[in-house]
Amino acid sequence: MIGMVMFGVALLMLMLGFPVAFTFGGVALFFGVFAEGMDLFAFMPYRIMSVMQNTTLMAVPLFIFMGVVLQRTRLAEQLLTSMGRLFGGLPGGLAISTILVGALLAASTGVVGASVVAMGLISLPVMLAHKYDKRLATGTICAAGTLGQIVPPSIILIILGDVLGLPVGDLFKAAVIPGVVLIGLYIVYILIMTRLKPETAPAMPDDSGLSRKQEIVTALLAIIPPLALIVVVLGSIFSGIATPTESSALGGVGAVVLALIYRQFSFQMVWDAARDTVKVTAMVFAILIGATAFSMVFSYTGGDYLLEEWMLQLPGEKWGFIILAMLVILVLGFFIDFVEISFIIVPILAPVAEAMGINMLWFAILIAMNLQTSFLTPPFGFSLFYLKGVAPPNVQTTDIYKGVLPFILLQMLVLALIVIFPEWFGMSSSY
Amino acid sequence: MRWIIKLDDGLAKLSTLCGWVACVALILMTLNVFYDVVARYVFRDVSIGMQEMEWHLYSVVFLLGIPYALRTDGHVRVDVFYTHWSDRTKAWINLLGALIFVMPFAYLIGTYGYSFAVDSFQMGEGSGDPGGLPHRWIIKSLIPFSAFFIATSGLGMATHALRVMSGEKTYEEKHSAEGLA
Amino acid sequence: AQETFTLKMAETWGPNFPIFGEATKSMAEMAEKMSNGRLKIRIDSANKHKAPFGVFDMVKAGQYDMGHSASYYWKGKVPNTLFFTSMPFGMTALEQYAWFYYGDGMDLMQEVYEPHNMLSFPGGNTGVQMGGWFRKEIKSLEDLEGLKMRIPGFAGEVFAEVGVNPTNIAPGELYTALERNTIDATEWVGPALDLRLGFQQIADYYYTGWHEPATELQFLVNKRVWEKLPADLQEILRVSMRTAAYDMLIQSQHENAKAWASIKKEHPNVQIKTFPDDVFQAMYAANKKLLKEAAGNDELAGRIVKSLESYQEDSRAYTNIADRAYLNTMAEVEGDE
Ligand code: NA
Ligand code: NA
Repeated sequence: MIGMVMFGVALLMLMLGFPVAFTFGGVALFFGVFAEGMDLFAFMPYRIMSVMQNTTLMAVPLFIFMGVVLQRTRLAEQLLTSMGRLFGGLPGGLAISTILVGALLAASTGVVGASVVAMGLISLPVMLAHKYDKRLATGTICAAGTLGQIVPPSIILIILGDVLGLPVGDLFKAAVIPGVVLIGLYIVYILIMTRLKPETAPAMPDDSGLSRKQEIVTALLAIIPPLALIVVVLGSIFSGIATPTESSALGGVGAVVLALIYRQFSFQMVWDAARDTVKVTAMVFAILIGATAFSMVFSYTGGDYLLEEWMLQLPGEKWGFIILAMLVILVLGFFIDFVEISFIIVPILAPVAEAMGINMLWFAILIAMNLQTSFLTPPFGFSLFYLKGVAPPNVQTTDIYKGVLPFILLQMLVLALIVIFPEWFGMSSSY
Repeated sequence: MRWIIKLDDGLAKLSTLCGWVACVALILMTLNVFYDVVARYVFRDVSIGMQEMEWHLYSVVFLLGIPYALRTDGHVRVDVFYTHWSDRTKAWINLLGALIFVMPFAYLIGTYGYSFAVDSFQMGEGSGDPGGLPHRWIIKSLIPFSAFFIATSGLGMATHALRVMSGEKTYEEKHSAEGLA
Repeated sequence: AQETFTLKMAETWGPNFPIFGEATKSMAEMAEKMSNGRLKIRIDSANKHKAPFGVFDMVKAGQYDMGHSASYYWKGKVPNTLFFTSMPFGMTALEQYAWFYYGDGMDLMQEVYEPHNMLSFPGGNTGVQMGGWFRKEIKSLEDLEGLKMRIPGFAGEVFAEVGVNPTNIAPGELYTALERNTIDATEWVGPALDLRLGFQQIADYYYTGWHEPATELQFLVNKRVWEKLPADLQEILRVSMRTAAYDMLIQSQHENAKAWASIKKEHPNVQIKTFPDDVFQAMYAANKKLLKEAAGNDELAGRIVKSLESYQEDSRAYTNIADRAYLNTMAEVEGDE
């Protein structure tokens, strides 16, 4: 029960505005020392060490570095505004470009901290400069950045593969169509929204005096260099030259080379980019460390056993089971991080689902879809914190909270579609 | 008050030093990963030592980056109320937070991290993989070091809050001077 | 009423990890039943303690009373722990268990672990581990030159001696790395556990084993905790660990046979291969050389290597006229395997 009280206290404390990471750590410390004594914290060095040796997370600083260099050399701005121009007089062009770039990044990393922060750095300033509504801009970025968790490669899918004993390759393949559908729905939503309220996402101004054809040609030419960089990153992964993590270093070096070609390079620029990267990386990892202290106290005070007991109460009939299981995962996702859910809850659900003849691949994709939503749901959605960490001060936490709501609804819509029409996604619900 | 200002300036320098080391580590790490990819693909050569160096450098980036970001207000806050408060209220929050959240947390990680590193030193721990790096205690001792610098940055947060309370500094000037571009 | 003891055990594996994780659960269950509830063992998996390779340190420091892991993981901390899991070209599971329980195995193992305030017990065996999944066939020693393979530890050193490039890949990226030729080969365990990772979908050549002929896991017990237990509970714990270990070897055989049948049926692309003679000769020599180096490290290492080698020689001579002769006869009688 201590774990539950701790969530409430943390929520209140967060509202005071002290840094999120240290609020998590400090609250965990009080509850942990009170319930188990100081020695509980002897586990912390091990937990920090496992973050240090988690080379997949190395993608975070590397991707952020690439993002910062692209931002500082204005190449990212060039990419997004040119893509926006391609959409001509269409409102929402920048937001759609953001989704598309986010989808490309998602295909090269499975680490949300990396993609949300990189997207926040390169596309938020551009959208705000073009008078986009803050909510639409932040919602789009959080959603686009979180795509990395459903579009393979993805950490959620890897962990679920491990927990459920399913081959990772099968999961990756099964996640492709749901990922593409989600991206498509985001774009359709932005098109509809901006048609209804054009002032939230103004079309790119037609100030060049060029004909439409010339405009398209100029825009395409401007897109090529930064897009080529992304293609190099993706290409290195698909050709096997680099692992997804390593590809982000190719991206960082590539961005500096681009800066050289475009005469934007200086040692000062690289140093400033490194400083920004260190600061943002530190923000992301401080949250991870604060959260690991928090989940340590939660589970060592018996929170995991409590959750297990609850999960054993689920109904024994297929559709009731599916719906309630999805609801429970969604609600837990508000508070607990997806790794804990995967390891504590999923092993309890899996044998029940299997006994009901539920197709485990389908079940795993449902869970993955559901878990990626947990990155977006207030109050503890990590994507929200990450974006807030790199946003200018006039973008407030509440703007981001409100901005992600429609995207959460879209994700739940896709989840419902996969539940009801699995065959649309190339799956079946039972054997 | 004079000695608080002196102390505060000294603590700020310490945090900046952490940031400087982390920046160097970041640049080296990017080059290290890049080199490893090129070496493997072009020269068909792999060095586990170089691969392990990647995560050693990456650990330096975030473990020393955290105290640096603490001093430069890089850690994200939930600003639902915070932005609307006066500098005085903010200073109180930061003073209390630094004293009851940051410093005790750093203290516990520092103490247990210290024995963690000492144990590794006494065993002469190294990598178990072919060609891996020896002296694992060096990277493990980064944990207590990071905790120590988090504590000094926390103390700096507190001294800075005192300066704001006395009216000698404001939070605005600090944000714009050191914040992200 | 008699005192009840609850021991906390950290395991290197995740929750519900097949075979390895079942060994710990069955051990805990037996201990509780046999002691009539006086000895309870609470198992924390890797997701809870988040330190799969910190089990040694946590049991040593007393943060956990017990651990379940594999001795060779501690090679970087205490080099002599290497010898109590399985050695390349070493003993089979049956021979090795004989060494542990009737040879000097157990005594030597305690000699290594006692200075670290722990006792170590055999913790279950995988049987012969497969030599790994390769995307291209190895026809000669030249084919190994520059080959990028995920193979950690001592076996990696042997491979390195014959020209292979041992490579680190994060477990989550292993499948993709093999699929896209970032690496050319990977070693894992055996059919039952390899099947879960899906290597059969992306690699055609499955090599027979040589590097871990009898991988023994281990139970670690903090020495002070052990000494605190009354004699009857010590005995119950000892018997539970030994029974669970034997049972894991049997279960490994069962699950591997089942998984191999399914790979054969569903993935006819998979071909079983054995390394050519020149490769084995080179690896055998490299292994001898490295073992000799290891034996020179300290006096205890020298004694362990000597014990392993002489026990294997005697034991193998009998295995050859018994098990091996029988299997040869069967192969003759039935034509092909
Ligand atoms: Na991804
Ligand atoms: Na193995």
